[in-house]
Formats: sequence, C-alpha cells, structure tokens
Amino acid sequence: MKKSKDWGIKIAPWVLLAPNLIIFAVFIVWPAIMGFTYSFYKWDGLGEKVFIGFNNYVKAFGSAEFWGAFGRTAAYALISVPLIMAAALLLANLLVKDIKLKGFFRASFYWPKMISFIIVGLSFRFLFGDSFGVINYILEVLGFKSVAWLTDSFFAQLVVILATVWSMAGYYMVMFISGLQSIPESYYEASQVDGATSAQRFFLITLPLLKPTTFLVLILSIIDVFKAYPLIKALTGGGPASSTKMIVQYIYEEGFTKSNLGYASALSMILLVVLAIFTGIQFKINRGGEI
Amino acid sequence: MGNAVKKTFLYCILALLTLTFLFPIIWVMLSAFKKSSELFSWPPSFFPRTPTLDNFIAAFNKGDFGRYFYNSAVVSVSSTILAIIINTMAGFAFAKYKFKFRDAIFIGFLATLMLPLEVIMIPIFQVIKRFSMYNSLLGIIIPPAATPTGVFLARQYFLSIPDELLEAARIDGASERRIFVQLILPNAKPLMSVLFIFSFMWRWNDYMWPLLVIRDMDKYTVQLALANFSGQFSVDWSSLLAMAVISMIPMLVVFLIFQKQFVKGMVVSGMKE
Amino acid sequence: MKLKTLTIAMVIMACLLSACGSTSSTDSAGSTASGTDDGTASEQSGSGSESAEKKKLDFMWFSDGVEGEVTQSIIDEYEAANPNIEINLIEVPYNDYENQLKIAISGGEPPALARVTYVGLFKDASITFDDYVDAESFKAQFSDSLDPFYIYDGKIKGVPIDTTANGLIYNKTAFEKAGVEVPANPGDIWTIDEWIDAMKRVMESGDVRYGLVIDKTPHRFSTLLYGQGGRILSEDLQTTEINSEAGIRTVDIMKRLHDENICPASVWVGSENPNDMFRTGQVAMHLAGSWMMTNYRDNITDFEWGVTYLPVGVTRSSVPGGKYVIALDNTSVEQEAVDFIEYYISKEVNQKYCSESLFLSPRNDLADMEFSFGSESWQIFANELANSSPDAARDWGYAQTSALIKEPLLNGVAEVIQGKTSSKDMLDSLAEKVNAELAEINS
Repeated sequence: MKKSKDWGIKIAPWVLLAPNLIIFAVFIVWPAIMGFTYSFYKWDGLGEKVFIGFNNYVKAFGSAEFWGAFGRTAAYALISVPLIMAAALLLANLLVKDIKLKGFFRASFYWPKMISFIIVGLSFRFLFGDSFGVINYILEVLGFKSVAWLTDSFFAQLVVILATVWSMAGYYMVMFISGLQSIPESYYEASQVDGATSAQRFFLITLPLLKPTTFLVLILSIIDVFKAYPLIKALTGGGPASSTKMIVQYIYEEGFTKSNLGYASALSMILLVVLAIFTGIQFKINRGGEI
Repeated sequence: MGNAVKKTFLYCILALLTLTFLFPIIWVMLSAFKKSSELFSWPPSFFPRTPTLDNFIAAFNKGDFGRYFYNSAVVSVSSTILAIIINTMAGFAFAKYKFKFRDAIFIGFLATLMLPLEVIMIPIFQVIKRFSMYNSLLGIIIPPAATPTGVFLARQYFLSIPDELLEAARIDGASERRIFVQLILPNAKPLMSVLFIFSFMWRWNDYMWPLLVIRDMDKYTVQLALANFSGQFSVDWSSLLAMAVISMIPMLVVFLIFQKQFVKGMVVSGMKE
Repeated sequence: MKLKTLTIAMVIMACLLSACGSTSSTDSAGSTASGTDDGTASEQSGSGSESAEKKKLDFMWFSDGVEGEVTQSIIDEYEAANPNIEINLIEVPYNDYENQLKIAISGGEPPALARVTYVGLFKDASITFDDYVDAESFKAQFSDSLDPFYIYDGKIKGVPIDTTANGLIYNKTAFEKAGVEVPANPGDIWTIDEWIDAMKRVMESGDVRYGLVIDKTPHRFSTLLYGQGGRILSEDLQTTEINSEAGIRTVDIMKRLHDENICPASVWVGSENPNDMFRTGQVAMHLAGSWMMTNYRDNITDFEWGVTYLPVGVTRSSVPGGKYVIALDNTSVEQEAVDFIEYYISKEVNQKYCSESLFLSPRNDLADMEFSFGSESWQIFANELANSSPDAARDWGYAQTSALIKEPLLNGVAEVIQGKTSSKDMLDSLAEKVNAELAEINS
C-alpha cells in the first residue's frame, strides 16, 4: 500500500540531501571553482586579469618560504592534534560520569571555544608578554626567572600550541561526549559482571566503540589546525622571525597584503590538494570511518 | 568507603583543572571591570582595584549594540534552525542510503572545509549579489547553514543506528518519508542538541560572512562591531573586553540548556538492544 | 510531537526570514551607492511634494579613536543643510578595511566615499578631482610636502583630511625623578649619543625598566633612517636605496639600543605591544607619533607624559602620515561626493575635525591651529614635520612601500638584534629581494 507521497527508496536520499547540497553548491562550490580559475591569472583584485598559465604554481613550488610555512604548519599540527584529542577524550570521559555540576564543568571547558580567536590571541599575548606579562610576573614573584615567551622561537611555538589546544579541546570534548553517549550501557554492565577494571573497560570497550567519533575528531581537528590563522596572527603575528608563521598567514600575506590574488589562489589550491590527499589516506586506512 | 574517596579525589582534580583552564578567561572578565588606566598598570592587578562599569557603558555608547545583539540573535537562531533541519536530512542520507556519487559528493563537502574562505571572498561576494542577498541578513543566515561539519556529525550519529531497524520498518510497509520523520527524528535529540550548540556558536561568532555580506551598520552583528575596537594603531581594550564578556553570555546560556540533552545511551523506541 | 515542534519552528523562521527579506529589499534599493534607484522610486511615487531626488552616499570609514564620531557630527550638519543628501557612514574594522574596499569595488558595489591610508592603491578606482575642481587652487590649500600621497601622474586622486607626524613621547614623571632634562626648543635637540645617554640616566634613577620602545613597523624605523640621511626608495621609485651607508648606520643604532638594554627585545624580536608597555609607566620614551595623543590622554592617569623633539642624526627628520578621502568612480553620485568633500576639507570644517579628533591639519592655513589639549606637543609635531626630509613623503606616498619591505625588514632587524647577521648583510639581501619585486611590479 504505497502512499502517493512516498519518496521511494531511490529518490529518498536525494530529497534528503537536496537542501543542503543546493545551498552548498551555489554558495561554496561555485565560488570555489571560480577561485580556482583565478590561480591561472595575475590579478590584484582591482585591475585587469592577466592570464599566465601555470606560473603561479611554478612560483609556489619553487618558493622556499612557502614550503617553510608548510613544514611549520605540518609540525604544528603533528604536535597539537594528538594533544587536543587526548585532552578532549580525557575531559569527555570525566564529564560523562555521574557527578554534580556536570553542566558547569562542561561549560567551563567548552568556554574557550566560544571566545573569538582574536580575543584569545590578544589575551594570551598579553598574559605571556616578556616584559610586562602576567605569567612572568607570577613567575618572578614565586622566585623563578622570567621566560622569553614570545621573543624566543621555541617558547613562542610552545605558547602557540598551548593557546591552540586550550581553545579547541572543549569543542572536541563535546563531540566525544556525544560519541560516548551512543555506547550502550549494557556493554559496561556486562563487563562489570565479568569483573573488568575501569582501565580495561576504557581500552577494550570505550575506545574501540568510539572509533567513528575519534576518526571524525581526527580529521576535523587536523583541518582546523592546518587552517589556524586568526589566533596565531593575534598572538605572535607570525614571529619571532616567522617561526610561528603558518600556511594560511603566508597565503594571506602573499595574496592580499601584496595584492597578488592569483598567487594566493594557487597556494590555496595546493593546500587543498595536500589536505585532501592526506584525508583520503586516512579514509582508506579507516575504511570510510564506519564501524 | 573507597568510592567516596575516589569521588572527592575526582572533584579535586576537576576543580584544579577547571581553575587553571579558566584562568585566562577569568582574567579577561575581571579586566573588563577595571579602569582603563589600571589595565596596564605595573605591577599587574588581578582583581580590579576600583571596579567600574564605565567600560560597559562606554562600549554600549560606541555603537548601537542593542541592535547588533538583536541582529546576531536573529541570525544565529534562524540559521541554526535551518542548519539542524538540512544537516540532519543530509547526514541521514549519507549514513543510511547508497546512491550514485554518494562518496564523491561527501568528499566534495570535506574538500571545501580545507579551503580558507578568505581566498574565495570575491567570488562569494558576486554570488551573494546575484541572489540579491547582498546587505541582507538572509545572506548570513542561509549560506553558512549548509556547513559540512554539521553534516558529518549527523552522518556519524546515524551510522550507529542498526540497519535492521530500518529494514524492519520497511517490511512493515513504512515509506521512507515516514521512517525519517517518525522513526529517526524523534531519536535524534542528542544529535540535534549538539548541532544547536555548535551551529549557534558558529553563527554567533561568524566574522567573515557578515564582513563580506553586510554593508549597512544597522545590520551589523556583534562580532563585526567588536572588530571595530581594534584600530590601526591601538586596541580599545576597555570596550573590547567589556563587549566580549557580554557577547559570551548567549552562547553560554544555549550551551547550558542543550547540554542537558546529552542523555546516556540512545533510546530507540520499539527495539531492544 | 516532534513534527509539531519542527513545524512551529519553521513557521517562526519563515516569519523571521520574511521580515529580514522585506527589510533587505527596501534597504538594498537604498543602499546601492547609485542615486538613480532612489531617483526612479521617488518619480514613481508621483506625489510631487518631494521634488528633489534624495541621493544616498555610502562613506566607508575606519577609526582609531574618536574621528568617526566627529565625522558623523559633521555629516549631520551637512545633511541638515542639504536635505536631499543622505550620507551613510560605515565603520569597517581596520585590519580588513583595504580588502573589503577592494571587494566592494571589484564586486560592483563601490561606496561613494572612502577614507584610505594609501591613495595609490586605489588610484585607478577613484575619480580624478581635476575633472571636478580647479586643480591648482585645490592643491594650493594643502602643504606641498603631502603631494606624493595624493597626486599621481599629475592628477589629484584623493584629498588629505588629516596629517600625523612621527615623534617622541616621554614619561615626564620618570625624567623629573631622574633629574634629566628634555630639549626645550629646536636649538637644544639631542644628538643620537646624547639621546641614548639621557635615556640611560633615566633608567638608572627614574624608576623605569626600559629607556625606549619603538613601534615595530617600517614606518617608525624609517624615522631614524631619514635622520641618517638615508631613504627607502630611489627618486624614480624603481629601486631601493635602503642598503646605503645611512641604512647600515640606522640598523646599527637599533642594535645598539637593544644591546645596551635600552629597548626591550620583546618588541622588535617578539610581539609585545609598545603602547601597552608605555602605559605601564615602566618605559621612559616611546617613538611613535601624534596619533597616540588621544589614546594616552584617555588612558594614562598614573604618571605625566609629554612630547619632545626627535634626536638629530646627520639631519633632522620626522615622517608624515595621515589619511585621505577618495571618491569612487562608477557610483553615479560622484558630483555629490565631490561637493561633500569640498565641504569636509574647508577651513572651518577641517579645523573642527582635526581639533576634536586630535590630528594635525593638512591645510596650509591651519598650520598653527589651536588645540584644546596638549598645545605644546602639537607645536613640536608641526615643527618636526616642517623639518622633515622630502624623501619621507615620496617613500610613503608610494603605495607599495609597506607591503614590499615590511616583512623582510622587520625580520631582518630582529635577526641583527639577535646577532644572527650583520647590518650590511641583512640590508643587502633585503635590497636584492625588494629590487626583484620592484622589477616585477614595474614590468
């Protein structure tokens, strides 16, 4: 007894997908394609576009600065992402248990993500200021030597990683909490009957069943960290001496500050391709992120 | 006995973690109540020496903030409702149906996440203009609602629904539409709560979209107005901090309301695990 | 039940959207910079009581202090006197301003007017004032030294509205405590050595941690460069001359200031903010400029501060700066825009603008303008400008200068300060890079 307004199993997915897909195609995909075409031109955004073929790409591949920024971003992601994931998972695990004021604690850790990156950057910059920062002041009062937080490359990179993990952990914590909720209680109950310790429960039940969420968090956090720009720009401006200048800042400076939109477009396409390949590999390893 | 000790220990750890974690935020919030001459005094003060509401009053006078908050609220709520509807639908389509180009489209969604939007601002501007959404709140409500992240979260959530459930419903003669509306949606409360929290936050904190789309100041959102406190040579810290503190409140409220929906386990009506 | 909630939500949203939709459709008709839309509409209304068409002008603006508010009050006065003109002042955040203006122009929605720092960047999109006014008499209103900032290929492409000068702000309380005197008139100006010596003495007994902070920008760096007789670009703007002997001396001075702990490394090597540092009262001097007057007036109450003369190197020099207003092309309200600009930069109105916003005026007849706050300081700034090298205006009037040298210079000086390279090597490699990019621009 088929209703006349039935979607039918063949049409259903398209009906469901259509609204999102249409908006997405019109407002993101179409501009992205247009942006892609810019990469073959020399253009300052105002004047005439001059066709130069692959010149922008050749320039990019030959630019030591570009690859420097790329390498720095990769290293930054390599360190930050595991830290973010570990922190997020730990906090999520703590905050699904039956404790009072759960909501308060969850809100506390999620809070940093609610603040705009620029304010986070500016605040950390002030807190970690070498001469007049609050952190150094506390250190000196406690009898320690002040640290050249933002003047020394090593420490500056440390502060950037700290600020990144701090502002993003809560966001992924929420995703993990959501993922943890979907693990049936019965599994835990059964294991308790069998006498499993909490560590065993975590590693043998929780983690494996959390794989889809973990996979999602991994992909999203890598992309987020790779695209980090406002936070770092407000914190260190890319210094000292470009040691914290990441790829998006480089694209921004080369493309916009120097009015070289075609080049910026080419750089973005390269970034996109690299990230896409990397994500594709992850998908293959995880076989599509399904259980 | 051991349990009580464990619990107290847990609370202590949590409290300590929270305090350290919140230190920068607490400092920011306290600074909003300091006189501007005290902000950079040396040695630095943690608590305001002479707490004042001057910054808040001055900030409100520097712009039509009542209006900006209204705009931000309208945009955030509308776009979130739209996003929840379309992302949930799309996520379910990806999770539980096989169709042509499914994986290609999915990868396409993913790919655009990797593009810094700043690079395609000019083409986006032209598209927005073409659809008469330039300088309209619609231009910052509709386009950002089709967010890939929302779709992924939905897909992830729906993947864990057993296929047998759907099969059983189909055998019983339910149409696809009925399955979605009457079986899937009622069980998607935890997902929709997460989507509400995230989407509201994304839209509330959106800067690039309003910057690009909005021309008239009476349609400015809070984030756009806040950015005006960073001038060419100096940052108007006092006003920026004050407004930033107030700006956090709606997001906090939304979070506290919806996080209660993170209910343990998924209650799937009519099917026992 | 879920469906009901959904339906209700969608109905609410539909109402909101239609509300937004109707507001936007009326507004988008009115917000386009072209006046013809409004003209057509009022003609169609046909009532005849409003015989004049109302022209709407978008004025893109960015503020650092109160200049936006001051301009708004000037606009209000203008609108009252010209009821058929509506000027919409739009404040856009500074950091994204240039980009947004470019996008608006290339997207076909140029504002009628825009405040800019570098007219050169937009000279192809702005009108040529020569077509609307008498060029010679128009130019004659303003100081000649500003010409490179708004005159391109012999045509007037923008109009100066305010002028700034780089200068030396100092902590009066600290200097008095240390018993050190600052130069009271141009005859007493310090040499570089005397300047460094003075700062050292204040550091010893003035209860401050550092002697000097310098804003981390090429613009401020160039103050010392011109003082050494150097310059950034050649006279024909085709190559750079920053790696001259004068340039090397300038970088050496920077290094010396840091080696002797007068300047904190955290500013030029790190990213600590000099304004915030000076506000702590722990730094004796701040090499910045006249734009800091409002900020410090409003925010510093714990100690007294003032302005004194920059030291002399081989010669004296400050660096002019300031803002300009351009009128964009293809807005169909170009004439109205020019009319407003003529009002805005007229002697009376410009005086009001500059004195309330605390800027120097670019007008020749306002060179000795009175200020309600800090009159001595303004005299010093004006004197500094009057004794500046013409190279400064030429360098900074060229729109690409900042983009070209900013990053390599700032990084390079940081490396010299850290002892990683010598002044000469750094400047030579900087010059090589900049010359290559200049060649590309001019090709």
